[in-house]
Amino acid sequence: MTAVEKVLAQASGATTVEPWDVVYPQPALVFVHDGHVEGARRELDALGIDRITHPERVVFATDHEVLYLSPRAAARGTAIRRTARDWQVGRFYDVGQGGHGHIFPMEDGLVTPGMFVFASDMHCSNFGAIGAVPVRAGPEVVSVLAMGTLWTTVPPSVKVTLTGRLQHGVSCRDVGFRITHALLNGPDAIDIDYRYLELAGDALDALDVHERVALCNTPTEAGVAGVFVPPSEHVLDWCRQRIRAPFEPVFSDPDARFEATFTFDLSTLGPQVALPGSPSNAADIAQVAGVPVQHAYIGACGSGMYEDFAVAAGILKGRRVASGTRLFIVPGTVQCARKMSEQGLTDVFIEAGALVLPAGCGPCAGGNMGLMDAGEVSISTAATNHAGRMGPKDSKCYLGSPATVAASAVAGAIADPRDYLQPAR
Amino acid sequence: MNRTDWHYRGTCHRFGDDVEHDAQMISFDYVIRRVMDPEVLIPHLFETSRPDFHQRAKPGDLVIAGRNFGKGKAHIQAYVAMKAMGLALACESMPYNTYRALIGLGFTFMTGCTGIAAMVDDGDEVEIDFRSGAFSNHSRGTGHAFKPLPERALEIIRQGGTQGVLRAWWAAQQPAAPGAG
Repeated sequence: MTAVEKVLAQASGATTVEPWDVVYPQPALVFVHDGHVEGARRELDALGIDRITHPERVVFATDHEVLYLSPRAAARGTAIRRTARDWQVGRFYDVGQGGHGHIFPMEDGLVTPGMFVFASDMHCSNFGAIGAVPVRAGPEVVSVLAMGTLWTTVPPSVKVTLTGRLQHGVSCRDVGFRITHALLNGPDAIDIDYRYLELAGDALDALDVHERVALCNTPTEAGVAGVFVPPSEHVLDWCRQRIRAPFEPVFSDPDARFEATFTFDLSTLGPQVALPGSPSNAADIAQVAGVPVQHAYIGACGSGMYEDFAVAAGILKGRRVASGTRLFIVPGTVQCARKMSEQGLTDVFIEAGALVLPAGCGPCAGGNMGLMDAGEVSISTAATNHAGRMGPKDSKCYLGSPATVAASAVAGAIADPRDYLQPAR
Repeated sequence: MNRTDWHYRGTCHRFGDDVEHDAQMISFDYVIRRVMDPEVLIPHLFETSRPDFHQRAKPGDLVIAGRNFGKGKAHIQAYVAMKAMGLALACESMPYNTYRALIGLGFTFMTGCTGIAAMVDDGDEVEIDFRSGAFSNHSRGTGHAFKPLPERALEIIRQGGTQGVLRAWWAAQQPAAPGAG
């Protein structure tokens, strides 16, 4: 079996499962973010269901709207707190606690390698970065809350082998954009609808957790069931420093059956930008370099870890954000924000003229902060960039790596980060 | 319509490949307004391509389509209307999230029916047993055995989708009323 099949079999009490089997797995944890709590409560209330099964497994993460910028948002906060209390939710992270629900559970050691979890939001795919197996429940998370499980189709696994080493100035976000484009539209395109991508290849060993997160996050919007990255010894050490309980990483058997295979060479890739519309709209940066940007933002679930900000700070140190451009920095988690402050990154960003926002999703959460005006252009590390994501429908959202966004904020236009890798003088 | 009855026999409404829910099946306007009332939705089903669809289609009729039916975002307004009209669906493929949404809605359908779009013409008299997967085109005198949905998916549909499953589950959790049993 593949690693994903093994984890699903184990969670379902089955000795073996096959692709397209329907199983009822028991999750170790169930994640619901602040945008989904009220709807779930309303739905269960309407059915007369006044308690949830296994509340101790449930995590409420507050990351979409951490600054109450409207009376409606403040009222929602009150409703979430009431629901957390009424349902006796085991792990309630209120405003200012934890941070981004797709990042802090790894940093805090809640999610472990080999763990099966359900979440209301598709970007739970991040947890594949440490070898966990998350599955998006979407609106059906109400079934998980009520009954403790949900019918789940075992997704076929597809093997994506990464070879070679990344060039200086190129990151796993760039790989994510290009690989998603290639899987969907390239000459070797394969069907990735509800497929679990399992990454493989000698390139993986060199990749840190934040880089694996970028690889898990970027293809999510293209319809994959998830991305599984077998944890390296280095990643397992990272996990052991955080996880108190014993855990067992799970790997695919040598004879595991993959529905399809795909190989990608990292060594020839240059910086990429995702054109407005979808993270899979990858383009070489030269195609769009020079497009003026008024809005820039680093953070969100795909690029919200300390190391992402360290790269950006390396470019912004001693430089200024261009006049006419505003740059938002959104640390993914409270822990990340603290470390940024301790290590002097926050000062670098403030000195450069950026605005540092509280931990969470930031502007990517859709209209909650840092909006764009009609006709404006943004470049960011957001999870997605469809029309209207961060403002009016005719505002345009490009996506890039943290380095590309930092360089573009300095230039006031989309810029190749390789021109900014030398320290400013 | 009795949903435990998996037999549909009626007129075929044939569609091709890549029919997108938003705009092609029903105006996106009803999606963003989150309209779920079938009486409101029915007159607008397929109205851009077949304005009289809601008048022509009768309970028991079958929508038969090619690949990638319901592509794009997995919205459900068109299926809410189809279900209320007593229609069912068979197609060659659909995105997983659409598949999941249809089971959650308790809608009778079948996917993975390779080649079915070529086995029918619009207006043929067709019959499908969604429990066994047996398909017949009475106008052509042909038939085919397709693979039905997995048993567990059929059971969820029989119970009326996610809401029906939750309702039945909750009822079973309640202690028996005094004097009962």
